[in-house]
Amino acid sequence: MNMHADIALAERMPTRTEVAGLVGLASRTVAPLWPLESAIAVNPLAGFEDMPFARAVQIAAQRFGARRSLPLPLWRAVLRTGRIEERALRDAAIRHLGGSLAAAAHIAPGVTALDLLLARMVQIAPENAPEQVGALPPDAAFIAKWCGAFFDHGAAATPMPHRELGLYRAVLALAGHDPEYRALAGKAGRDLLLQVPRDPLEAIAEGLVEIAGEADELEVLSSLVARLPGWAGHIRWRCEHADAELVAGAPATMADLLALWMLLARAGALCEGHGAAPLRENVADCLAGHFGLELDALARGALARLQAVANIEEDALGAIFMAAAEWTYANDLVPRLQGASRLGRQGVQPDAQLVFCIDVRSEPFRRALEAQGKFETLGYAGFFGLPIALHPFGGTRRSRLLPVLLSPQHDVAETVVEGREAEAGQLAEIQQRNAAGAQIFTAAKLSAGMAFATAEATGPVAALAMMGRTLAPRLATRAQSVLRKRREQAFTPALHGPGRHCGFSLEEKVGYALALFRLTGLGQDTARLVVLAGHGGSAVNNPYAAALDCGACGGHGGGHNARLLAAMLNDPAVREALAEHDVAIPQSTLFLAAEHDTTTDEVRIFDRDLVPESHREDLARLDAGLARAGQQNRVRRAGLLGRSPGELLAGAGDWSEVRPEWGLAGNAGFIVGPRWLSQDIDLDGRAFLHSYDWRADADGTALTTILTAPMVVAQWINCQYLFSTIDNQRYGSGDKVTQNLIGRIGVVQGNGGDLKVGLPRQSLFKDDGTPFHVPQRLLAIVHAPTDRVARVVEANDILGRLFGNGWVQLVVIDPETGRASRWREGEAVPGEGRDQHSLTC
Amino acid sequence: MSDTKVADIPLYPLRKIEIVVLAEDHLLVQDLLKAAGVGGWTMIRDVAGMGHHGFHQGKTIFNDQSGLVMFLGVGEGKVIADVARGLSRLFESRPGVTFLSDVQVMRSDYFAKANA
Repeated sequence: MNMHADIALAERMPTRTEVAGLVGLASRTVAPLWPLESAIAVNPLAGFEDMPFARAVQIAAQRFGARRSLPLPLWRAVLRTGRIEERALRDAAIRHLGGSLAAAAHIAPGVTALDLLLARMVQIAPENAPEQVGALPPDAAFIAKWCGAFFDHGAAATPMPHRELGLYRAVLALAGHDPEYRALAGKAGRDLLLQVPRDPLEAIAEGLVEIAGEADELEVLSSLVARLPGWAGHIRWRCEHADAELVAGAPATMADLLALWMLLARAGALCEGHGAAPLRENVADCLAGHFGLELDALARGALARLQAVANIEEDALGAIFMAAAEWTYANDLVPRLQGASRLGRQGVQPDAQLVFCIDVRSEPFRRALEAQGKFETLGYAGFFGLPIALHPFGGTRRSRLLPVLLSPQHDVAETVVEGREAEAGQLAEIQQRNAAGAQIFTAAKLSAGMAFATAEATGPVAALAMMGRTLAPRLATRAQSVLRKRREQAFTPALHGPGRHCGFSLEEKVGYALALFRLTGLGQDTARLVVLAGHGGSAVNNPYAAALDCGACGGHGGGHNARLLAAMLNDPAVREALAEHDVAIPQSTLFLAAEHDTTTDEVRIFDRDLVPESHREDLARLDAGLARAGQQNRVRRAGLLGRSPGELLAGAGDWSEVRPEWGLAGNAGFIVGPRWLSQDIDLDGRAFLHSYDWRADADGTALTTILTAPMVVAQWINCQYLFSTIDNQRYGSGDKVTQNLIGRIGVVQGNGGDLKVGLPRQSLFKDDGTPFHVPQRLLAIVHAPTDRVARVVEANDILGRLFGNGWVQLVVIDPETGRASRWREGEAVPGEGRDQHSLTC
Repeated sequence: MSDTKVADIPLYPLRKIEIVVLAEDHLLVQDLLKAAGVGGWTMIRDVAGMGHHGFHQGKTIFNDQSGLVMFLGVGEGKVIADVARGLSRLFESRPGVTFLSDVQVMRSDYFAKANA
């Protein structure tokens, strides 16, 4: 019996199902957080997408104690680089003031409201709001500490006991021995440990009765979830996306986490939430002083207008900068795409066609390759439409090689390539030996009696290895590269396999093959070589290495998916069936798989042994083109990183390299249309490119698929970069230098606390502290008839939400009229949308 | 099958609940069914249909979380009422519909309450 709850209140106590519903809704406050080994981008504000963007950012900022925009000095730095046009900034400021008349309102002779606002934005020294960094308050630190112990994923030498009971009950069993808990919760806390229900839902129900009072119960729970967004996000991943066997030993739900919060709340141990924003001081005085005005001398109306400008919060000024950045991008890009649309296609039959991932890093490489010869490139989701999980040869766990929007439909085994059995045996032996060595080393390192002896014994070897990596990183990279190449030659993902990994039926293979043609508009008159190129990054000693890999492949390289689809497309039975679906692939066409290393810009083509003599020359030409394109793109990227192309190659194997590449920083656009539309435009590595032919998609099925899946993934990436930039402490993961790995699942800042949820500072900011990534919302540009796009958007809730609430801005270029239209956001003024003028002001 | 023939079969009265929600919300409903102790249920993915906001498509091929799903559960009246109570909180902020009806089942042990 609980002594704290009034028995009379029992009638109002929510039922378990009501609590389950509330907990489920409250858990939406945070986004799932994937472990580092399969890190993928998510929108940290995904739970707020039902709201218009601006309101969502404001409410989330209150809940998480985060900023709403990049600080003004950093926006000014972006302005100085030219990535925001002054004209666009002026237009955005005019709109903020309510239009041209309001902007031109008189303040003093020669001074208008617009002058005041622009001065605040670009000239007057901003308030120095301190960056909110610091240790967690004691209540959150207590829960974070136990989460770290509970979710260690086998990293701890002595695992936390009672984990099989679940997070809540395991902590209840141990908290009584924790001096931190005693200090935090006192005697009431100790009593509660004996009295609270052991069922987390019942514990939450009792807690709500006791602490919620008149407050909204969902609001109370949501606020508590938001106190530790990292651990709460990890729990969401475990419950919603992890393989069951991976998390079975330590069950934990959001109810467990909230029951712990309730325990502290009932013990009176909750600390104050996020502090209030600092007050603005003397902005009006500064503003008046800047223009040489005396506030007392101003007319009442002018004074009110000046005061109104002075009262604009700095975050709101940041929002004006963001709008200006978005307009700068759109105003430059849309008219050029319109022009290309009017000119139409002027293509020639290519020697080879290469299908790349839609990733923004593909675009500059594709452009470089197209310049090397008759190479046509296309963009498609990097998992090539295959919803698979791969069981690596000799591995114990499967890897999900698909977007998290999907569940695996096929378990694929990695098998030995015919004729490569001996090499496969050698590699398997090396793999086993390395695994055993690592296991022994870890056990010795963690053993109380052996730790120092292990350090003594292995230190010199480790020092040599470190020196080797430091002094000759490219040598280490080459050694790794050779081993990887051998492995790729000896093993392959199998189309057919024994046991439960039974592969694909003919019908399924035909379906996946057809999807490539239907979704990208790839015609049946294919070139002699068609290469499906997945991608992955290269980095060592980098917790965020998976973030450089393919997001569509669940934070893995895309080579396996490419190999499987290429094998399907080379299968005579599949080709025969495809012909019945009006896709008659020429016999001369050979499909190949490849993987583009986005860190080094090298492209590895798989299964070269299978290339017949008749296609050797084609392959040689392609190899040469790829090498030249890689070199060209390395030069371009090296400039952006401020180093030489050679240093890029070295950085891929350098253990001290904190920024092996810029990743997807800079992402801003998502273009759905044929490649010829954008081929002559330098998109600067900022656009996702999905190929699409509106003529081959009369019912809009392909467009629906592209917008509801690849574009959604692109939006997650865009939002992760956006929010990680505007508040790198709250929505990102802070400086890499002070990060520590925890439990093989994430990073924390310093020696504990909450899991960090987003990208590190080094992925977004230059060394001088100015942003490399411009935080702006994704601009989706679709080349298709306007009515068709409207039908697709209106028939799919997710699109109505993203476009209607302004999370993604949609522009449609109608190929039949050449007219560009903008999708109107839900809160936009009628008449300002669906026409091109809204883009150019 | 005629009523005469049905009368020969031992049948047990229970309550049925049908729930249609957005696919992205299906875990919310599953948690709720588990919390109520419903021992099992049927989930039909890719449900299409007409609603307040026009025609809802089934799922698209690359996104399991788009479209609608339908749950069918059967249990004792108290259990199903408990589910409905939980749903009422969900539907305060999420779209969805639910239907309750009386049904008869042949094997009542199949629908026994699970250990919550």
